[in-house]
Amino acid sequence: MKMTPEYLKAQENMHAGIISSSGFLGSDSRLISDIISNDEELVQALGMNFTEITNRLKFFMEKALNGFGNPVTVDEVWEVFSEEARGVIPCPFEDGSFKKINIYVKKKGSKDSIVFSDLGIHLIEKHHFFQGRDAFFRLDPEKIKKILF
Amino acid sequence: MDILTFIVAPMVLSLLSGALAFIIVLVDSLVNNYPDFTIDINNGRKKLTAKGGSSLLVTLSSQGIFIPSACGGKASCGACKVKIESDVGVILPTELPYLSEEEKKDNIRLACQIKLKNNIRLSIPEDLLYVKQFDATVESITDLTYDIKQIKLKLLSPDSIDFKAGQYVQLIIPPYGQIPEKTQRAYSMSNTPSDNQHAELLIRLVPGGLLTTYVHKFMQVNEKVVFTGPFGDFFLRDTKAEMICVAGGSGMAPIKSIIYDMYEKKNFDRSIWYFFGAKSARDLFYLDELKELERLMPSFHFIPALSNPDPADNWKGETGLITNILDKYLKTVIKASSPKEAYLCGSPGMIDATVKVLNVNGIASEKIYYDKFA
Repeated sequence: MKMTPEYLKAQENMHAGIISSSGFLGSDSRLISDIISNDEELVQALGMNFTEITNRLKFFMEKALNGFGNPVTVDEVWEVFSEEARGVIPCPFEDGSFKKINIYVKKKGSKDSIVFSDLGIHLIEKHHFFQGRDAFFRLDPEKIKKILF
Repeated sequence: MDILTFIVAPMVLSLLSGALAFIIVLVDSLVNNYPDFTIDINNGRKKLTAKGGSSLLVTLSSQGIFIPSACGGKASCGACKVKIESDVGVILPTELPYLSEEEKKDNIRLACQIKLKNNIRLSIPEDLLYVKQFDATVESITDLTYDIKQIKLKLLSPDSIDFKAGQYVQLIIPPYGQIPEKTQRAYSMSNTPSDNQHAELLIRLVPGGLLTTYVHKFMQVNEKVVFTGPFGDFFLRDTKAEMICVAGGSGMAPIKSIIYDMYEKKNFDRSIWYFFGAKSARDLFYLDELKELERLMPSFHFIPALSNPDPADNWKGETGLITNILDKYLKTVIKASSPKEAYLCGSPGMIDATVKVLNVNGIASEKIYYDKFA
């Protein structure tokens, strides 16, 4: 996949300290076009699609927000809670700003857990970007399948 | 061949580069050489003269007029709204996400996105003319919980601040680590106005947060910081109504300031019901202080509630979502007949749900004041 001017600007914005303290790339030195195409292949190989992934993330976000920061049990299987902070955070692709909402999902009775943000859902839905390797908010497609479905 | 490659060609390239740089500088000075312009604020209330070319937000702050901005001018917070009374061109795409249809009709714009290219007339809340920039030193940093720190700033210049209990300041931190620019964010003051030589802030660590990461991981006692303020219209209304206060987490700050201010002023005529929600005991703080205040101030009732107490907490207090506890008290404990007003500080979700509970229990929306984390 080609690094368009939009991707070049986004990659610049994703470095630590530009939009968030830790950035969106983690230890990943790949171009975001490569990260995106690798994850697109992975999603396909896992038999999932982007719509069902983002719908699932939105489902857990809605449940968590009902708890106003307190844990909420979902279908007796998951424990979720939300964290909100003042202000908004811009998308590194410069196509919108999102409330600072983080969602924590834990599968009850296991150590498996996942954290994602409102912006993270947008990055997957609109840009197929799950974030770089080791990034704090990276949503690994395999982990999503294992924990959220 | 060698002379051409190693001497003549680089010289030609250097000359061409130099000429190009000269043309760029010349064009820039001709195109962007803005003259001085006049900024008329609040219909002649204040007039400034400033060189054009910078954003209105930056120009105003350089002249001592501080418009609230949580992002420092990156068009990512939408806080720096001003009403423009003269022509400054069309609304930019970067402004659109933050402006309602009504605001667009009223010519409300983001000060950070308007470049000063003409004389300009604008309106801002009168209070903003009194906002100042303060130099301060970090006097103490205290862990209140595992993720909330109380930082106490000692004012240096000016050496005191006049504010109303409940108002906030914009803390500005320097570049650090990989963060290349200054960062500023809004925080309510938790001290009372009588302690006007300090600003006490409660700051919760936000994962990935530029400013909160600095405060929690890098800030040191005795270091110098800068802030602007005071801002905001979240303060006690001068009525006799019974007060319902609801907060969670660092939303404690403005409510604490308001209640302690009432105590200091011996304002004991109004009943105060303060509902503070937390997950478990490790998220609670100021418990002993507020229980002591309850003893000293009979009109004050403090109701902390845990939604998910750990068995080891041995919690004997209220358990459940703070909205459910509030609803229970409004229906069974607090007299329905007395006039009431509410003061809320917390996440948008908590505030929206709390407003619903208050409305259902007969407290009108216009009597509900809040400081939303949004």
